[in-house]
Amino acid sequence: MPKTAMHRAFPVLNRRQLLAGAAGVSAAAMLPVKAWAQEGRLNIRVYTEPDDFDPVDASGFGEALLYGAIYRNLIQYESGDEWSYRLDLAESIEQTSDTTIEFTLKEGQMWSDGYGEITAEDVAFTFERILDPEMNSRILPDVGTLSRVEVTGRYSGVFHFDEAFAPFWWIALPYLAGTIVCKAAIEDAGGRITTEVPPTVSGPYRVRELRPGERWVLERNEDYTGDIPAEYERLDIVYIGDEASAEIALEAGDLDFTEVSPGSVTRLQSNPPAGTAMSMHPSLFYVWVGMNMEHPKLQDIRVRQALQYAINVNAIIEAAWYGVAEPSTGIIAPGLIGNRPESLIPPQGDPQRARELLAEAGVENLQVTLNVLNDVTFTTAAQVMQATMAQAGIQLNIEVHESGSFWTLGVEADGDRWRDLEMIMNRFSMLPDPSYATAWFVTEQIGDWNWERFSDEEFDRLHREAGTETDDARRDEMYRRAQDIMEESGAYRFITHGVTPNLFYNNTVPGTRPDGLPLAQYFRRA
Amino acid sequence: MSRFRHTLIGRLARDPLAVMAIVIIAALVVMAVFADLIAPYDYTAMHMTDRFAAPSAEFWLGTDNLGRDTFSRLLQGGRIALTVGLTAVIISGLIGLVLGMIAGFGPRWLDNALLFFFDTLRAYPTIILALALAALMPRGLTTVIVVVVITSFAEYGRVVRTQTLSLKHSEFILAERAMGASFGRIVFHHILPNVLGPFFILAAMNLPVVITIEAGMSFLGVGVPPGTPSWGSTLKDGFDHIRQTPWLILAGGLPLILVTLGFTFLGEALRDQLDPKLRSGR
Repeated sequence: MPKTAMHRAFPVLNRRQLLAGAAGVSAAAMLPVKAWAQEGRLNIRVYTEPDDFDPVDASGFGEALLYGAIYRNLIQYESGDEWSYRLDLAESIEQTSDTTIEFTLKEGQMWSDGYGEITAEDVAFTFERILDPEMNSRILPDVGTLSRVEVTGRYSGVFHFDEAFAPFWWIALPYLAGTIVCKAAIEDAGGRITTEVPPTVSGPYRVRELRPGERWVLERNEDYTGDIPAEYERLDIVYIGDEASAEIALEAGDLDFTEVSPGSVTRLQSNPPAGTAMSMHPSLFYVWVGMNMEHPKLQDIRVRQALQYAINVNAIIEAAWYGVAEPSTGIIAPGLIGNRPESLIPPQGDPQRARELLAEAGVENLQVTLNVLNDVTFTTAAQVMQATMAQAGIQLNIEVHESGSFWTLGVEADGDRWRDLEMIMNRFSMLPDPSYATAWFVTEQIGDWNWERFSDEEFDRLHREAGTETDDARRDEMYRRAQDIMEESGAYRFITHGVTPNLFYNNTVPGTRPDGLPLAQYFRRA
Repeated sequence: MSRFRHTLIGRLARDPLAVMAIVIIAALVVMAVFADLIAPYDYTAMHMTDRFAAPSAEFWLGTDNLGRDTFSRLLQGGRIALTVGLTAVIISGLIGLVLGMIAGFGPRWLDNALLFFFDTLRAYPTIILALALAALMPRGLTTVIVVVVITSFAEYGRVVRTQTLSLKHSEFILAERAMGASFGRIVFHHILPNVLGPFFILAAMNLPVVITIEAGMSFLGVGVPPGTPSWGSTLKDGFDHIRQTPWLILAGGLPLILVTLGFTFLGEALRDQLDPKLRSGR
């Protein structure tokens, strides 16, 4: 090869050029990390992967975040510090009697991809699918006593209820159950959306691509006709289960917004990464330790109560939530109707009382297994429980599960593992109405979400009646009593509601619910 | 004295690499065996006011996220590592030894079948196979040992088979056969002693690999349950809390580095002393 040709193929650097290059690389490394939001792209982390393409099958917050961006509801939660909602598809919506809600849609609201205008037929179809027993929808409890939706005009209709159901406004209309789907598209699809990319959307974003286990890639929906158009050309909902990994991803510029672990709060408050800010929100979630009442080891109420007394909630909060959360008194958070001022069993527990109860039950050398999610907060909490329960003479074994395994442990439809389930540390998401908490613990939910297999007639009745009660004071009393019953059964030890600390880049104004969970459609550039 | 110099131990004693290996391994074994006596604290004791403490006179290697003394936990972790390592190496070695000799001595079809079996197992990436097996079994130390045995015996089998095949056709074995030596005599007096050299070298080299598999499984959350002070769990705790303290991950990695160095040095020293080709070349 001639020398000139070799020079073109392999550029030769002299010492000065090499040093200059190295200095340039070093300087570049010192530049602040550029978050994607500056480039018209937003990356929001979600802790649980949206895995259902059809709202009728939705079950959790992952789907709620996705649907908020690609679909619309009659009303939507507002972003901010106070729980409120705004009209979205609805021009007007009104409770016209205890058992009827009348709505009128805005005209000219369109489905994407040529599916036409959104009409009252779509609204009726959406809710009737959930009510249809053949659909076996897991969000059926969200619609409570709804019996049917009457279409009174192209843009108007009436929700009819068997009995008054006040929670409908907070847990159904602006959330998963109220996600309006396109009747024509679903019928074209054979009754259920099974494709990864929905055939039509109505929200400010549309699905461009799904990368399972990694992210949902959304892009601006050019057919959107609502009031809150997409701020970003591209919006990625990034699934990262582990909070420590999410923090690293944010600091590397791969995320613009994430919830962080309670253990990072003090450090991030005193020394935040360049260009970031942190916000703290009171969470509505509830964390508890449940005991399977049907398991042979735990059928004696005295054994379950011994376990309740053996758990030191204060120690768990201090170790796993780094003292930034408070012990909870039940499944309903402070500020909501039905929150109890205190639990029946003191948070610090009582190892001596636990020993006495075990002696009364004639149980010696009790060994129980606690199942927890593979999450550092929960595994830390479990280890603290292990240590404190040992003081009561109870040996606690810990079984850690990946997300996929964990969320099917007590589900009868997913196998026989529910039979061997002894104890579980669990966390459920929550909405600003107490019925959304009690709904999962009624007898009907056994084998679905009620993994403790707790069944109490009075509890079921209270849940049912409180849902139809319109007097807040009376509801408050009923939900408090319902939580007393849960605790008296020995099947529950309430731990905390936690907190939601969010970390985000300053070039983003996050849209969040009052409890800190993101509402993707409201995110804006600073 | 001169007779001792020519024994294996005597030869190893003159090899600086072997001496270093034996010192490291002996120190680890002593610390693991006498962990309860050496440990300054109960390895489960939580000191919540001293969480994430840096190394100090009070806590020699600092503390973890629950304020537990890292040094005391690493000593207990040594017990787990040696228990898993030795048990798994002995069991997988014995299985590999037996199957390897059967393959080497058996009929052609059996040799091919076993060879296919060994190669199939070895073709899987170890940690992926370990994860798959762990998903099917209850979590715990026994599972870790079973997984490690399944993932590692094929390597012994392969080596022993190759050694057996080469010895089977050697002249002294043919001579023994011609003189009417029994099958048992040929196997136990001639083949086995000659196979054991490479076998022990492999076992020594494999021990840190086995310990690392256990640590890797615990790190990935499919090994020992949380709270069990294995070295992998300590590494995992260090990773989870790397923003709070760097000491935990450093402390968790230190014994793994030492055990790997120690057993690798020992394996190399044994190979130098036991491999006739290397010895003659010296």
